[in-house]
Amino acid sequence: MRIPFFSMFTRSPFDDLQKHAEKVKECAWAFQQAAECYAAVNCEVFEDHRQQVIRLEHEADDIKRGIRNHMPKNVMLPVEKFQFFRYLREQDSVVDSVQEALNWLSYRPDSGIPDALERDFFLLVDAVVDPIEELSRMVEEARVYLKTFSDKQREDVKSIIKNIRQMEHDADQVERAFFRKVMEMESDPITVIHMIKLAEIVGSIADHAENAGDMMRAMIAR
Amino acid sequence: MPMELIILALGFIVGFHMSWNIGANDVANSMAPAVGANAITLRQAIGIAGVLVIIGATFIGSHVTDTIRGGIVSPHILEDHRTAMIGAFSALLSAALWVSFATWKSMPISTTHSIVGSMVGFGLATGGVGVVNWSGFGAVAGSWVISPLFSMTIAFFMFKIIVRFVLARTDSYDTALRLSPLFIGLAVFVIVMSFLFKTPLGTAMAVGDITAMLVASVIGIAGGFGGRNLLGWFLAKKEVFRDPEMVFRTIQIGTACYVALALGANDVANAIGPLALIYSLARTGEVATQVPVPYYLLLYGGVSIAIGIAMGGARVIRTVGSGITTLTNSRGYCVTFGAATTVLLASKLGLPVSTSHAAVGGVIGVGLARGIDTVNFGIVYKIMLYWILTVPAAALTSLIIFNLIQIIL
Repeated sequence: MRIPFFSMFTRSPFDDLQKHAEKVKECAWAFQQAAECYAAVNCEVFEDHRQQVIRLEHEADDIKRGIRNHMPKNVMLPVEKFQFFRYLREQDSVVDSVQEALNWLSYRPDSGIPDALERDFFLLVDAVVDPIEELSRMVEEARVYLKTFSDKQREDVKSIIKNIRQMEHDADQVERAFFRKVMEMESDPITVIHMIKLAEIVGSIADHAENAGDMMRAMIAR
Repeated sequence: MPMELIILALGFIVGFHMSWNIGANDVANSMAPAVGANAITLRQAIGIAGVLVIIGATFIGSHVTDTIRGGIVSPHILEDHRTAMIGAFSALLSAALWVSFATWKSMPISTTHSIVGSMVGFGLATGGVGVVNWSGFGAVAGSWVISPLFSMTIAFFMFKIIVRFVLARTDSYDTALRLSPLFIGLAVFVIVMSFLFKTPLGTAMAVGDITAMLVASVIGIAGGFGGRNLLGWFLAKKEVFRDPEMVFRTIQIGTACYVALALGANDVANAIGPLALIYSLARTGEVATQVPVPYYLLLYGGVSIAIGIAMGGARVIRTVGSGITTLTNSRGYCVTFGAATTVLLASKLGLPVSTSHAAVGGVIGVGLARGIDTVNFGIVYKIMLYWILTVPAAALTSLIIFNLIQIIL
């Protein structure tokens, strides 16, 4: 076949970016289940959930590497390539942090979450899962924008980004409240360290989601 | 004389192969956007393109052909009857081989340049370096740069304008419909101008520049407003959703039809020109700078192209069609418009440009305007290498074939 411009098109990296975002979302759900399980008494499937997150992290990693490796130097994207990769990195860091949080929990397999913290812990987990769920929607809407260039669509993407930023802010509040509770708690030092570090890692999940949103904002800049 | 008959028969076969290739690749390609966008079915596309190509070749195609396309080789080399016949055949075979090779490599090269290169090879074989008009060669080389650059610029700005004034707006569908007389009108203007200046029938009418501009403007304006009404009616009937791309999709069906017609009219000469020369030599034994092309030869070329579309076109259309999500209708319109305008202007300036070259430039333009998910600029260098290689490769092959036949006979 001799087609004037067909050879100039390569597979769209946005397809894979979307797939990556979906994996991140799945990961968030598995994380939520694992966290609930960890807090519950006698839950035996925590390790299964953790393994699922590890598997999903691997898959997301493969997609990420696939995007990076299949982008010849001279390929041009509708957005700055640097920003695109930076975005991908942040989106991928979300999964890494999720995995890290579960790993951290697994170092004390049977201790559970102290009763005084349980409610705040669930609040924190939910607070970081929300912005992750927004990520895949944001990628989807951004793709529509890059196709239609519609101003309205651009506003939609911007409002999702704003949402994510707000969610991160809320998660920060929850995280701080959690810290305070930990400090007020009369407990053994190991539990305190375990809880503090846990909250830090979980909180960083939302940070990465926010960074991804900021990078998306730069990508759709006119 | 058996030798002449053999060469003539072989010429018919190679001419068929060349035409088939043009149909399966170049024409099928032009119909692909409309099919990919589900505006027409594959069967309809093949049917429409086939009919238009035959009409274009037979009725708009030239009834005389320059014995040497592009005037790049001195016609003195044709003085010896036997040499001329072998030479024309070598050129046709060599061009067909190069075109087949490029097709196999999926490289968009110009069939016209292949023929020009092959003729150079034949010229070198018989008359040496002196018979080649090297300054004409400069024009060919210039077209490798000028046509993509030019159509890149047009496509870039056209896409920017469409984004700014249509796509970005909240009521993009209504705006697209309201501005459609402009987009249709521009397309019609270029089509009418191309018809008058680019096709053999139009050139035969010998319309002056200003008259042509006036005629094209009037038809363009009329076509633009008429087109909008037709479009409004067509889209209302289909109850499609209010996507501005639908407007461009419908315009694309029109431009695709013109491309099929024009390819039939112009490119048939690439396959049938050398054949007509062989035919004329076999019949009369006389050579002039121009030889007549009988109706049935044009019809033969047109039908061969149509067979190419029918047999090989489906695959091309499907492949392009599946990738069409990357090139939506508004982008496709910019590419086609940029390419067509470039080819029109360049041929007014006497540059031997190729539509394939211009189309590549158009895609780069839309890519630079950030309209495409991914454009691989790396491949552009490779494509340009094939453009540059076309002339020497076709020339060398032609030279070798010519000498081989000389040895055999």
